[in-house]
Amino acid sequence: MTTTPSPSLPHFPEKMGEGDQRSGGGRGWGLDRRATFWMLYLPPLLWLGAFFLIPLLLMFAYSFRPDMRGDFFQLWQPSLNQYEKLVSTGSYWRLLWTSAQMALLISVISVVMSYPIAYFLAFHGRQRVGFYLVLLLVPFWTSYLLRVMAWKMMLGTEGVINSFLLYINIIQEPLTALLYNRNAVVITLIYVWIPFATLPILAALQRIDIALFEAAADLGARPFHQFIRITLPLSLPGVFAAFFMVFIPTVGEYVTPLLVGGSRGSMYGNIIQDFFTKAANWPFGSAMSMIMLAGTLILVAIAARLINLRDLLE
Amino acid sequence: MNAKRPSLYSLTSMMVMLTLLLSACGGGVVTATEAPAPEATGTLSVLEWAGYDAEDFWVDFKNAYPDVTVNFEIGISDADIYSKMAAGNQADVFHPYSGWLQFYVDEGLVEEIDTSKLTNWDKVSESHKKLGQINGKQYFIPWDIGFTSILYRTDKIPEGVDSWAALMDPKYAGHISMWDDGPGAVTISSYIHGYDETAITDEQLAAIQEEWIAQRDLNLFYWAGEPELQEGMRSGDVWVAYAWQGSYALLLGEGVPVAYANPKEGRNSWVGFYGIRKGTENLDLALKFLDAKLAEATGNNVVNLFYYGHSNQDVMNSVTDPMLIEAFGLNDPSILEKTNFTPNLTAEQRDAWTSMWAEVKAAP
Amino acid sequence: MTTFRNSFPLKAYYFGLIGLLYLPIAILFLFSINANTFLSFPLQGLTLDWYEKLFASDALLRSARNSLVVALGSSLTATLMGTMVGLLMMRYQFRSKGLLVAMAVLPLIVPYIVLAVALLLLFSVLNIDRSLLTVGVAHTVVALPYVLLIVGSRLAGFDANLEEAAMDLGASYPTTLRRIVIPMIAPAMISAWLTAFTVSFDEFALALFLAGTQPTFPVYLYGQLRFANRLPIMIALAVLMMIGTLTLVLIAERVRRAE
Repeated sequence: MTTTPSPSLPHFPEKMGEGDQRSGGGRGWGLDRRATFWMLYLPPLLWLGAFFLIPLLLMFAYSFRPDMRGDFFQLWQPSLNQYEKLVSTGSYWRLLWTSAQMALLISVISVVMSYPIAYFLAFHGRQRVGFYLVLLLVPFWTSYLLRVMAWKMMLGTEGVINSFLLYINIIQEPLTALLYNRNAVVITLIYVWIPFATLPILAALQRIDIALFEAAADLGARPFHQFIRITLPLSLPGVFAAFFMVFIPTVGEYVTPLLVGGSRGSMYGNIIQDFFTKAANWPFGSAMSMIMLAGTLILVAIAARLINLRDLLE
Repeated sequence: MNAKRPSLYSLTSMMVMLTLLLSACGGGVVTATEAPAPEATGTLSVLEWAGYDAEDFWVDFKNAYPDVTVNFEIGISDADIYSKMAAGNQADVFHPYSGWLQFYVDEGLVEEIDTSKLTNWDKVSESHKKLGQINGKQYFIPWDIGFTSILYRTDKIPEGVDSWAALMDPKYAGHISMWDDGPGAVTISSYIHGYDETAITDEQLAAIQEEWIAQRDLNLFYWAGEPELQEGMRSGDVWVAYAWQGSYALLLGEGVPVAYANPKEGRNSWVGFYGIRKGTENLDLALKFLDAKLAEATGNNVVNLFYYGHSNQDVMNSVTDPMLIEAFGLNDPSILEKTNFTPNLTAEQRDAWTSMWAEVKAAP
Repeated sequence: MTTFRNSFPLKAYYFGLIGLLYLPIAILFLFSINANTFLSFPLQGLTLDWYEKLFASDALLRSARNSLVVALGSSLTATLMGTMVGLLMMRYQFRSKGLLVAMAVLPLIVPYIVLAVALLLLFSVLNIDRSLLTVGVAHTVVALPYVLLIVGSRLAGFDANLEEAAMDLGASYPTTLRRIVIPMIAPAMISAWLTAFTVSFDEFALALFLAGTQPTFPVYLYGQLRFANRLPIMIALAVLMMIGTLTLVLIAERVRRAE
């Protein structure tokens, strides 16, 4: 699909009666457009307001609750208690930073590993692109939990990798460093994200006008140069989109660390989960969540400067 | 419009029909009842620990009231169960353990139990009955009774284990598994160092935190549910762990070479209780459920399947299996003498100890 | 047109990675036909028993049904609402447009754990018990951005003059929507619906917090993961689900290409 300039919004008369100026506008189509507007506007507004905005505001308010004593729903004196505790505990900040670092590593590696796949699909797929894509996505449609469990089976001391290495005698004792630590979390998450990261890159690559390559070839550019000067720059929006699509959910990840992280693989999300389930300390958990949310919003603001949302929609 | 393309409407209506169809089919397994059930029909919902939702552990209720649907929601720890109940969970019956009972009474979450309605009440010993009383009123009925101690592989640790400090022993680095629970960790440290569990000072808590941060490097994983622990022991990844008897019973039954330690500081003993949520509409059914929990068949299952004690004295007195007698420490009075019982937590302790544990996990 | 004349290294990389991606799937599959409940090599024997036992496992099947119901409900709702926002975004100008679009897109960047606990708080405050409904609501919120992006993208490339023309000819706006716009964006809506369905069906992070006594399949699976002997049956179900999804997708491709 070649790119078309974004259409400006149609000039629909907003006021009633304006339609009278057009032939056949006797119905006053300003009126039913307005009615339609409210029909389209209210349901999503109310739904999102109720189930997205208000919960987050509630959590924000809850983070100012001094403690969990007493009735669940009482009016409490707002206090910075929880935030003070959060700020004074170095471990949590370090963990947030570590989680972000892990997410960064995972995102970069996922994007780098999936770029050649996207490239292959975009330029060498020909008629079989659909098939190749489906083949890539099928694992994505298997239960996430089971895939992670399968990795657990592969990385364990009696697992596939160790059995194999022992069999070909590279090692004498099974490696214990593969499971129950941060490495296991990183490996597993990269595995989970690669199919997903391919998609935006593929979309961006497919939008590149092939004529550009022909023109470049005519001017004597070698394939490698064509890649560096045409393909790569034009695919960058897709690359950034893929990066953030992986990075942002991964910072808040808690399921994979729970399954394969062991004692040392906990991420920030795990601690939030603990405060809500094991410690029954909802205010502190809320404070931690607000901090993470703030961090994520800042990152997205940076991302928005790098990717133009319009570019994605075209 | 292209006639071949299925219209959106037909697709949508097809989907809606599919959903309705599936909701109808999956709706419920029909249990054939031979005779009409006594009085009771309806639904009861129970907030329970994983594993106890198995029918073996409420078999008496199931047999007496086959028409009642029992729904289970799983809680993963006392803190989880407490926070669910405090937040307004609608479960009719819940299953807290010693140490956490006071909170429910303080927050008005639990009904007082009319023990005259429990036909099996007289089979419970006086001392156990007292454990379920707060401020002189019977709020909870005791049910399962057990030890916490150290479970270890005898083939990996032939010299045996005789102290709680084994959980922090560098000799077993990478093969230790601790329960994922802050108060549990504080309890162990207090046994090792002889602290008074009811009066842990701030300095002591800080020292405990440091200790467990160091332990984290030796620990393979924290287990949240017993099956996780059992899997680790079975595969030989875990050599020594904080464990309840049930895991010991299970692994022994599978032929895994394990032993349950008698640490010199003493084992820990706990009691599990059932309580009824205050304001439940199913009070009658709930009471029947509790009564059935105290009955013999259920009790026997608890004893035989999990090696836990049961509050029904008749059940305990009929234990003849030497393995069980050994597991309960019935043959060795010195075990019971040294056993430490879990005291009730205060709200401050709960907050402080769970926060401590979160910091242990978050430490770099 | 290829910029690299030799596509062999790329092809090799693709198939190599595919092999790696399918390795855990293969292991899972082996596990589901393994005679033993422990996976150890060499395999003890093959059996289709687990698939048989699967259909006798009530709780498991019920959880699968729950997932299906939640996914269908939430995906339909998300598609509906997402399309509404898409139409508003692309065809209307109004003051709170920025706010609405932001609310519709922001769920993409809110970490699931944060959304989960926020919704937990909401339902607790309102005294609404956790159930399949609460899970479904959460799923609509996270699926809506995907719908918006897909449908909105299609609307952007669609000349609005067609609508003006229709209205010039006397059609009311609702009629125009129904007879011109919706049919044109129908493929995008279906694609969005399928995406929303996929997002919901296997979703775990939110469901874990918001499911009550009725678990969805991933929540049930998680609760049973620790019971090693029950694993093969669940893997059997997952394998069946995967085959089912694959079939659906191939059919969808056929239908799409038939136009």
